[in-house]
Amino acid sequence: MKKKVLSVILSAAMAATLLAGCGGGGQEAAAPAADASAAQEEAPAEDAAPAADDAAEAPAAGAGTYALVTKSAGNPFNEKVAEGFQSAVDEMGGTAVIQHPESATADAQITVIQSLISQGVDSICIAANDENALQAALEEAAAAGIKVCSVDSTVNVASRSVHVNQAGVTEIGQCLMDAVYDIAGGEGQWAIVSATSQAANQNAWIDAMKSIMESDSKYANLELVEVAYGDDEPQKSTDVTQALLTNYPDLKVICAPTTVGIAAAAKVLQDQGSSVKLTGLGLPSEMAEYIGDDDAHSCPYMFLWNPVDLGYLGAYTSAALVSGEITGAAGDKYAAGTMGDYEIVTAGDSGTEVILGAPFKFDPSNIEEWKSVY
Amino acid sequence: MAGKSGRTISATPEKALRKAVLSWEGMLLVLFVVVNIFCKCISPVYTFTNVLREMPKYLTEIFLLFPMAYILLMGEIDISVGSIVCLAATISCIAGNAGVPFIGVLAIGLLTGTVCGMINGLLTVKFRELPTMIITLGTQIVFRGIAEIVLGDGGSISLSNADGFRAIAGKIGPFPYMFFIVLLCAVIFTVIAEKRVFGRGLYAIGSNSRTAFYSGIRVNRMLFTAYTVMGLMAGVSALFLTSATYGANTTTGKGFEMDAIAMAVFGGISTAGGKGKLIGGIISAFIIVCLRVGLGQINMNPQVILIILGALLICAVLLPNIVQSINMRKASKAKA
Amino acid sequence: MEKKSLWKKITGSREASLVIVLVVLCIVVTIKSPAFMSVQNIMEILKNNAVIMIMSLGMLCVLLIGGIDISITSTLAFAGMTIGMMYKYSVIGSTFLGFVIATAMGAVCGFIIGLIIAYGKVMPIIATMGFMYIYRGLAYLVAQDQWAGADALGSFKDFALNNTLGFGVLNNVIVVAVVCYIIFFVILKWTKFGRSIYAVGSNAEAAEISGINVAAIKTAVYTIMGTLAGLSGALATSVYASAQPNMQTSKEMDVIAACVIGGVSMNGGRGSVAGALLGALVLSVIAKALPLVGINAIAQNTVKGVIIVVVIVLNVLTQRMMDKANLEKREM
Repeated sequence: MKKKVLSVILSAAMAATLLAGCGGGGQEAAAPAADASAAQEEAPAEDAAPAADDAAEAPAAGAGTYALVTKSAGNPFNEKVAEGFQSAVDEMGGTAVIQHPESATADAQITVIQSLISQGVDSICIAANDENALQAALEEAAAAGIKVCSVDSTVNVASRSVHVNQAGVTEIGQCLMDAVYDIAGGEGQWAIVSATSQAANQNAWIDAMKSIMESDSKYANLELVEVAYGDDEPQKSTDVTQALLTNYPDLKVICAPTTVGIAAAAKVLQDQGSSVKLTGLGLPSEMAEYIGDDDAHSCPYMFLWNPVDLGYLGAYTSAALVSGEITGAAGDKYAAGTMGDYEIVTAGDSGTEVILGAPFKFDPSNIEEWKSVY
Repeated sequence: MAGKSGRTISATPEKALRKAVLSWEGMLLVLFVVVNIFCKCISPVYTFTNVLREMPKYLTEIFLLFPMAYILLMGEIDISVGSIVCLAATISCIAGNAGVPFIGVLAIGLLTGTVCGMINGLLTVKFRELPTMIITLGTQIVFRGIAEIVLGDGGSISLSNADGFRAIAGKIGPFPYMFFIVLLCAVIFTVIAEKRVFGRGLYAIGSNSRTAFYSGIRVNRMLFTAYTVMGLMAGVSALFLTSATYGANTTTGKGFEMDAIAMAVFGGISTAGGKGKLIGGIISAFIIVCLRVGLGQINMNPQVILIILGALLICAVLLPNIVQSINMRKASKAKA
Repeated sequence: MEKKSLWKKITGSREASLVIVLVVLCIVVTIKSPAFMSVQNIMEILKNNAVIMIMSLGMLCVLLIGGIDISITSTLAFAGMTIGMMYKYSVIGSTFLGFVIATAMGAVCGFIIGLIIAYGKVMPIIATMGFMYIYRGLAYLVAQDQWAGADALGSFKDFALNNTLGFGVLNNVIVVAVVCYIIFFVILKWTKFGRSIYAVGSNAEAAEISGINVAAIKTAVYTIMGTLAGLSGALATSVYASAQPNMQTSKEMDVIAACVIGGVSMNGGRGSVAGALLGALVLSVIAKALPLVGINAIAQNTVKGVIIVVVIVLNVLTQRMMDKANLEKREM
């Protein structure tokens, strides 16, 4: 009996504190520091769908709160994107909220998005871990008046206003395909070491490479023997690279369009003094050791884009969306600070995107200069 | 004694009120209030509406807490639930895309979870020599592995028609439907643990499985039931998770098992079995949720949040032990 | 008659039956892919899995005393990441010093866990779960969103390339693993400390009464586990020429699986160094063999999981057969 009373008291008290603890504070926050964001933070609390008049009361261009959600913590590429994002927001005089989710999953990103909706940020710029899984959360954000764009890795068309793409998918495919053709000498076997099998970026680039290879007879003598997945883990990437070497003694080139995979593969090839050469997408700071024209180095050259610029463009795109300068429709034009003018174009998935530029080539002549940058 | 709390701060509290406050559950309730006040102070947007809106993702994990508490009370463990969630979500999405009506999709999701749970239960009962930790470690890899195979090269599936799932993600006022279902489950599971023969059996098995067997408790049957229910609840969790993601991928539900175990243990349930109360686990689940929401709102580095949660978990078990040993030392001194 | 006793011997010893499993596995893989049995390939297997093999030794001790440790890969990442950053910012340069620091950090991490389990009486699964989050979080904080890549690690990564310790034949990393195995074999078989570990695992109360300081043994065992995890952190950083805060995430389950496949009981008191080694080898061979025999990458986890389940179930069934046989003998 005593127990029953106790548990009733417990649950009643629990419900009461839940109400009292969180419910009381509707008015408190508006008072301090009359900055624009505080007023907006209150909006979702009182009414779930403010949205409509949001544009009218939006702060002067640039002074808002812009959020960036990366794929995961602990990755220097993401950190550089964040750095660019931060510097652009500083230039505009706004506030940047940068969130690295606790793990590289869609679940973790949903948690972060929900928290950002509570905080009433003006925009969310996100690098998606899963193209479709974020739709519900991002739609809720949009309903709360938050502008959404994706960067680096896209979300589906329904979830975004515009995607900030590091480089066109076909451009990257073409670059990599030409590199493979060049390094292999026009013929022979080659293989791909990718990230995880569900990595949207990598899959898109690989598909682009395959269709380029089929469409042009120039590549007829190249044979893609296998697409191996290293799951962006050094150990697994090492294992699959070694398996490729064992299974295909005539292999000439490996293409690794992922920063973890290329570093692991480069190490395997270089350590073994293998005649197989490597190209792909990698971070200069990680790859400096392996880039060189001679036989002692495993990677003659590779590509990447500038993650700092990518973050920078992401921030200006967010700001342009918030200020209403663009809506994310194809043909919209806006200025991105020191990087000049950009125009939104139609993307492959029938949504829209803005493209940073062509991939940048890292070879022995410039790697020393770039390895300290990112 | 059934329902005896696993932890207390005072060795022999005399009065009922004092007992209530000093019981682990009482302390948790105080902590719950403290955490809410703390979050309110650090985050200006820590409002009732916002907390409820951010809650659904965590609520999906609380579904797993209830049966996990049962399994822990019996002195066993299940680390495969995260993978069951993944497989159930995957299979129901595939069914949905294949044109199965929504009610059928729900049934398929629940059924997948239940079957996985039954497999765990069967292995546990047939091979009692094996610790459930290792059985469920094996099935953890297998269940997620099957999901990986089914999902194929893309590793991800998204619903072509998410209307049904949109509907179950709906809200009554600020309260998501899921909130009420969690409460309903909380009541059912608590009543069974406290008031039913099954509940007493849980504690008996956890205290001493062999004695329980000889005193007529059908240990194997209870184990099998508990694991099956675990699977069923993993199916429920998977369906609600799908309603937030409109799809599934190979990382769906990763780490859910650890979160559920942490909630239970923080709530006073001993992993050695036989001790603790479900109500403690439920309160602690909400403490953890509130803390995560609050710290998330001030954009604290998520790794730091994990460090804090890890430290809290250890302290929750460590502190009562220290207090108890001090009390015992005092008592023995007094005797001398 | 002789044949029967030999058969009995083989089924009677887990180690022997595991050797058979391993040999059959190797033969099957070699038939499908002849390159598997090359010296180079075997060396690669040993080198790439040295980390798992070394941590299996620590896990063996932990399981022997009836505990468990799921924080090991977090300790590994914390130690590996710390020395990685030290090389990156030129705090240290010497390879030896790196190993000392990582190993010492691991020892301290393990010692703290040991204290909390032995003297704080916290269940091992809970204590190590807490520290799994804590040490992993610290690894991220130390990293500050940076990696220590090949360039940053300088000469440290050469350790995993050279054969200096192995007299020009064996890779350094393999030598370290072999040395660890020899040390643990000796400790567990012929020292008082080793016997105490078994004693605590078989019956902690009896051990306490017979004068063994159970808490001290427990602390020591978790410290050993931490030390090996720290050492593995340095090795992993060197082998992959890269330190990342998420390195080896959830590989602790592989380590536990390796021990259990090797016949180490999770209830404590039963298990051997040879078993841990064989268990780790079976897992490494599977991981290496699957891509070689052309099993699709996405099916690899399932195959791994099924093999784990099958092996542990077979273990139980042979044990039951043995017990039954023993009983029958007694009846006669």
